[in-house]
Amino acid sequence: MKQSDHEALTRLERAAGDLIGLAADPPDDFALRVLRRVGIQREQYDTYVHLETPAGGLFVAAGPHAVTGAALASAGLTATAFEELHRVRTHRSAIRSAKPFPGVVPALRTGRAGRLPVDLSGLTAAERAVLEAVRTIPAGQLRPVGWIAREARVPTTTVVGALARNPVPVLVPSHRVTHDSGAPCDADLVPGAGDALRAAEGIDLERVAELRRGGVVFLGSDTTRIYCHPTCAHARRIVPRHQVPFRTAHEAGRAGYRACKSCRPVTA
Amino acid sequence: MDEKAEQQLTDLLAADLDGGFTELVRVHGRAVYTFLLRVSGSATEADDLGQDVFLRAYTALQGYDPERRRELKPRAWLLTIATNVWRNHVRTCTRRPALAGVSVEDAAGSWADHRPGPEERAALADDRQRLVTALLELPEHHRIAVVLRHVMGMSYAEVAEVQGCAVGTAKAQVSRGLRSLRQLLDPEVPVWEEVTT
Repeated sequence: MKQSDHEALTRLERAAGDLIGLAADPPDDFALRVLRRVGIQREQYDTYVHLETPAGGLFVAAGPHAVTGAALASAGLTATAFEELHRVRTHRSAIRSAKPFPGVVPALRTGRAGRLPVDLSGLTAAERAVLEAVRTIPAGQLRPVGWIAREARVPTTTVVGALARNPVPVLVPSHRVTHDSGAPCDADLVPGAGDALRAAEGIDLERVAELRRGGVVFLGSDTTRIYCHPTCAHARRIVPRHQVPFRTAHEAGRAGYRACKSCRPVTA
Repeated sequence: MDEKAEQQLTDLLAADLDGGFTELVRVHGRAVYTFLLRVSGSATEADDLGQDVFLRAYTALQGYDPERRRELKPRAWLLTIATNVWRNHVRTCTRRPALAGVSVEDAAGSWADHRPGPEERAALADDRQRLVTALLELPEHHRIAVVLRHVMGMSYAEVAEVQGCAVGTAKAQVSRGLRSLRQLLDPEVPVWEEVTT
């Protein structure tokens, strides 16, 4: 009697334990429809969606006029955690939505996010300048920290700090920034995410690593006498027998080469 | 949700109604939806009633002064509204059977049914499906109490507040609900009556 009493109790407890698993997520636009129906102004809140990228899921939050934040879900970030982080950083509520901000999906598909309106207002002027410079790096290309510093007109030392504070990873393509040695920065990305993004943009990671090991920073063409960053579209079409590697801009200049006008390597 | 976050939410509600309400929907939307889904058993109904709950909540908040909004216990309060909305809905449905007097044009939009189809049913763990069905067979007041206590994980005090009864009554409802649930799931095994003095 005592024994079965005990058993009955544990079975009851098990039933209770199973019930916890019955919590369910509402449809994606449930909260959004509530707010619309009640008549809360759209300016009051941000909406966010979960999109797929080569580096895993990406949460993208946007206000009515611009993208305000993003975070890769690959670090075990849940939707609730993203909402909390967004709230802490921007003091705005992020409401789940079924519809992404216009232009975000094509920007992720093509890697061309330069024209996407992005709200960087929570940052200092220098940090904003750095991230705006990062946004001009074309898809599939890499730029060193020194290049960013020159484009943004800030000291080199502030660049890595600003990258680490990038509120919109992937869409502000900080994965396209390398140290001056050629090693990727990835200051705001989880390990592995940067490589996945670069590989998906068609950057030949092995070739980049090989050049880096040889200390090669620029590639010149002995037919045009122009030198570029190795991932520049013009550098990629130099056939191997015409490629001339350079370690510094000075070395290239001495050899009678001029800088590419597209990727604009730092000359001094 | 911890106490500090709850405090922040009510402070925000007191200071800025629209901003606070937005946070309220963000934080507690899932709880209200889960509750309605598990007591009604239909995703479509849970969605519709959930919209109603928040509309009522907003209307009520507009009438409250900031001090009262600060004193609010948001989750228990919202689930009280949800419980009332659900009871009203059940009453309306028994008095006015579905679709009587609704024109064909209006009804056409409501045919979409989000209840799990054959595929989803197969994918759902068998046990889980049985549990959901068994839950729906419980009497109304037991079901609400069990969902509040064990699906939402509320304390007995909160359940009592939502149900508008004494804590002891809430405990009894939950325990009886669980007992019949177990019997529904496992009819062969008799559940021993607990002997209490």
